Amino acid sequence: MSAANSLVDQLDDLVSLERGEIDRRIFSDEEIFDLEMKYIFGRAWLFLCHETQIPKRGDFFEAPMGRDNVLVVRQKDGSIRAFLNTCSHRGNAVCRAEEGNVKNFMCTYHGWTFGLDGELVGVPGKSIFYKDKLDLSKHPLRKVAQLETYRGFVFATFDETAPSLEDFLGPTGRLSLDLLAERGDMEVIPGIQKFVVNTNWKFTVDNVFDYYHPQITHMSAFAVGAIPSPPDEFVEGGALTDEGNRLEVPFLPTDLHNIVMISEYGHAISGPEQAVLEKDYGSQEPFAWRYTPGTQEKLGRYGSRVAGHPHIFPTTWLTAGGQLSLRIPRSPGVTEIWWYSFRDRNASGEQQAAELSGHIHYFGPAGLLEQEDGENWAQSTLQTRGGVSREVPQLLKMGLQTSKIIKEDGLAVIEAPINEHAQLWTYHSWREWLRNPTWEELRARTTPGDYI
Amino acid sequence: MTLETTPVDPDVEVRDVLRQYEIEQFYYKEAALLDGHRYDEWIKLFADDVHYFMPIRRTMTRRQIGREFTQPGEMAYFDENKQQLQTRVDKLSTGTAWAEDPPSRTRHLITNIRVEDAGGFELLAHSNFHLYRTRLKSEIDEWVGRREDVLRRVDGQLKIAKRFVYLDQTILQSANLSNFF
Ligand code: FES
Ligand SMILES: [Fe+2]
Repeated sequence: MSAANSLVDQLDDLVSLERGEIDRRIFSDEEIFDLEMKYIFGRAWLFLCHETQIPKRGDFFEAPMGRDNVLVVRQKDGSIRAFLNTCSHRGNAVCRAEEGNVKNFMCTYHGWTFGLDGELVGVPGKSIFYKDKLDLSKHPLRKVAQLETYRGFVFATFDETAPSLEDFLGPTGRLSLDLLAERGDMEVIPGIQKFVVNTNWKFTVDNVFDYYHPQITHMSAFAVGAIPSPPDEFVEGGALTDEGNRLEVPFLPTDLHNIVMISEYGHAISGPEQAVLEKDYGSQEPFAWRYTPGTQEKLGRYGSRVAGHPHIFPTTWLTAGGQLSLRIPRSPGVTEIWWYSFRDRNASGEQQAAELSGHIHYFGPAGLLEQEDGENWAQSTLQTRGGVSREVPQLLKMGLQTSKIIKEDGLAVIEAPINEHAQLWTYHSWREWLRNPTWEELRARTTPGDYI
Repeated sequence: MTLETTPVDPDVEVRDVLRQYEIEQFYYKEAALLDGHRYDEWIKLFADDVHYFMPIRRTMTRRQIGREFTQPGEMAYFDENKQQLQTRVDKLSTGTAWAEDPPSRTRHLITNIRVEDAGGFELLAHSNFHLYRTRLKSEIDEWVGRREDVLRRVDGQLKIAKRFVYLDQTILQSANLSNFF
């Protein structure tokens, strides 16, 4: 049996919704990674940047799309285009800065020069060397197939048959972005944190919905008051220290009641209820933006009750604190993490400073939370490579097939105690993407049923 | 080429040499505290109004190199006051900060130290660093960069009143920054 048959033909065994089991090999297999690049990152709408990162004509930001890098560029007429950062002559990158402002992109190999719109406008010696026979109009930079924005968030796809961004996002994906956009007149704060973790990208996505881990993983952050937790209340269960003492695991009320939304193409939102979060913080004040009539209406009945964590398939996480995290697969075992942080232009200086401090201190490589997350992802990834350890399945059995899915307002909602429904939904959708179906088939196969 | 003909003032030179020696010893002691995981003593080296800041560095063209580093008020990796530094120190001593438990092994190498008067009781000190870290079985991380410190004399003791850390990496080649610079 060839290697090609071994994993792709076993997709149904690799991800089992019935058993709540995932085959670990999907986190390290090269062939699976190649398929992900082709059938997921080669087709899906992918987040590139926010419009406020490129406000002026000639502003650009380089963003990843699978294994490709694209330049997102503000045009002379104010519109936005994105094209591959590779010269149409012999492939050199036409821009080697991460961001900046230009009038043209001049390739430093032979000097071919491209306008802000990606058109080839200059070829050194085109009459001497090419005898004026080169048709410049035939060799622009390669554009993305479609580019659209939703409330300032710029997305693109390489698939010209992809549905519109709005359809791709659907009510759940749009709500995910609304939860950030509704916070005010939002702009990206200068500086994108970028760092590398030795993990498979799916571990970082799985973790977005995992409200079982904070009590242990982030124990030290709770202990120093970086996150509120009620004192002297502990979880039952039998966690013991390496000295055999009972480990007092802090009890987190956010773990009690979760609202889950799962949707077409694999998007999901899963996290604590807003009211519970506010009880934790002892105040509604930090969430004042939610309580304007316009925002309540925009978020809708369920959206106004959900605190987090939204995930737009495949790799965009929007936090409850006004940040966006992009997880960029570089190889089966290496993922780059980028943090885009937002602020409300109209907020006071003190408010902006307080939020910025939150952005710096929770996530990112120096974040009091994410340091420990990265550790877990890296170690989990490592164990998917062992000859025998990779045969031990991943378990996602919490609340399996027990919670009814309610379909209302275009959403598929589950209300349940802490659970693993959204993770399972993500893996299920991942599997359906890998079969490379048509968009119609994919939509049908990722339409939620009655239970998960 | 011209030759230096002005006679040097021996008193000025001795004063500078002593100051240089003092600052170097100060930094070597600081490095030993960090590498020895003695964070409670380390934090005592900072003034109560310290600003500890590590900006984000971006790959920019030479023409726009002035925008390479983010500024205070923009995103950063560290933007700490004394209380926030203390929280990080406290977190390490909980025994449940898993990214540093088992603790990483670090070596802080501090070089190229240049000291200038900053007026009053303050000095401006530039230094380069190489922070080498190994973790668990085989992880190795390295950071190279420079620091800009304002050092203040308080009751005869040197305190770090400001530290800006400029890393040489743009995309950080490590999973975390769980150590101090
Ligand atoms: S490769 Fe770009 S000009 Fe030749
Ligand atoms: Fe976490």
